[in-house]
Amino acid sequence: MTGLRDRTAIAGVGYTPFSKDSGVSTLTLAVRAVMAALDDAGLSVDDVDALATHRVGDSVPPWVVAPALGIPEVSWYLDQFGGGSVSHAVVGQAAMAVAAGVADTVVCYRAINARSEFRMGGTGRGAAPVFDAQYQAPYGYFAPPQQFAMFTRAHMNAYGTTHEHLGRIAVTQRANAVKNARALKRDPITLDDYLASRWIAEPLRLLDCCLETDGACALVVTSRERARDLRRPPVLVSGAAWGGGDSMFSGTGTDFTVTEAARLAPRLYAMAGVGPADIDVAELYDCFTYSVLVQLEDYGFCAKGEGGPYAASGAIALDGELPVNTHGGFLSEGYVHGINHIAEAVAQLRGTAGDRQVPGAEVALSTAQPGYVLAGTSALILRSDR
Amino acid sequence: MSLRQRPRPQADRDSAPWWAAVRRHELLVQRCAGCGTPRFPARAVCNRCRSLAYDWTPASGTGRVYSWIVNHQVFLPSMADEVPFTVLLVRLDDGLGHGDDLLAYGNLVDADPGVLRPGLPVEAVFADVDDDTTLVQWRPRR
Repeated sequence: MTGLRDRTAIAGVGYTPFSKDSGVSTLTLAVRAVMAALDDAGLSVDDVDALATHRVGDSVPPWVVAPALGIPEVSWYLDQFGGGSVSHAVVGQAAMAVAAGVADTVVCYRAINARSEFRMGGTGRGAAPVFDAQYQAPYGYFAPPQQFAMFTRAHMNAYGTTHEHLGRIAVTQRANAVKNARALKRDPITLDDYLASRWIAEPLRLLDCCLETDGACALVVTSRERARDLRRPPVLVSGAAWGGGDSMFSGTGTDFTVTEAARLAPRLYAMAGVGPADIDVAELYDCFTYSVLVQLEDYGFCAKGEGGPYAASGAIALDGELPVNTHGGFLSEGYVHGINHIAEAVAQLRGTAGDRQVPGAEVALSTAQPGYVLAGTSALILRSDR
Repeated sequence: MSLRQRPRPQADRDSAPWWAAVRRHELLVQRCAGCGTPRFPARAVCNRCRSLAYDWTPASGTGRVYSWIVNHQVFLPSMADEVPFTVLLVRLDDGLGHGDDLLAYGNLVDADPGVLRPGLPVEAVFADVDDDTTLVQWRPRR
């Protein structure tokens, strides 16, 4: 099913600076990122007829952003509930709206003060409003690093995954961030630095964890034909998939070493008409090092259980066979809940990634949180329009 | 262990009978009246046969360690004096296996986390937090 293949394009990318304390509202972040993305595309606010975002009670919806920007009417909007697992579904749905003729110019945005205002999971706000929290929070278990530590241990138990495997991911991504002026962490680290970093929740250390970040990012989605008339070379949305069924909390998903990505990947690749071997660069959701490791397996870059050795082999480095998280990822660039992975993929496919450019990159995979914690995941395959 | 300072379980309408049983120091699981499949956590419907009918049946109270963490970071100020603490994920012995396992969380009690290994047999222990709340904890089987 070719579905949305190459019918729409990302025509603009905008950022606010990333920081630990933006000092401004999420509305201000959103407006700045939206305007920056439009400027990048060579468009103005007057061209916007649709807005799309996702949030978990921590940001501003389209019906607040639109009047703030003086957009008199949006013809389509998306205010998706959810965190990182739906980050790429927002762009997928925007592409669907454009392909269906419901919208012409959609700006997708995510704006969060994830360090200074709303930190992810249990920092005084108590248990997350999630159905199965009742079985976990009373045991002091509710924060994302704890959950991913539990999944990591399960993978270690099943496949012998090691701390060194995880550490190689952190070290590799930091080396990429050194080449990224936007990145919050730009000091190189060694495997020894990683192994010396303090425990957060064993088996995860501080350097396994992403950076809680204040910031926003926005993307302009429009038709392929229209994008070809705009300022930047179009980056085509070649494949888009989202969905899922299992909840890793309990009940139906009781093997924590396989994620929703394993089920989503075949239909994503089929829509784009490519396979893992065609991917030139992969921006894999890295809330924690382990989520990269397990996605290397579930998106088919190596066999189940081989994610650790594969990552440690150098394959995921900028000069490896599959450069991963070329901007430094959430671990080192910053964490805008998924959307900055898509923005980096666009830069790589435009050939504008500077010192961290993967030569000749034409096809990119960008992924959301692979379905742990809440059910479902989402991902995009993008390609240059050359 | 200052269990009193922790978040309280917020039961929903499906799980309220389960928590009430825990309060009586009974560990229950649901059993589908249509196909007999055991289920936990509490749900209104069987995901195998879609029957809405079920019974509450006593669980064995035993299980095997699937995964665990040793938490060091203070995520809640009220738990600052508890770190490091261990959280277990246990496969109840009542599950059918092969993807139909029943997973329960809890803290490790009466043992050091150094004893943990995949598959370690454990048994449920009931910890009364206050006049309203009891939690299920786990210790290695003797």
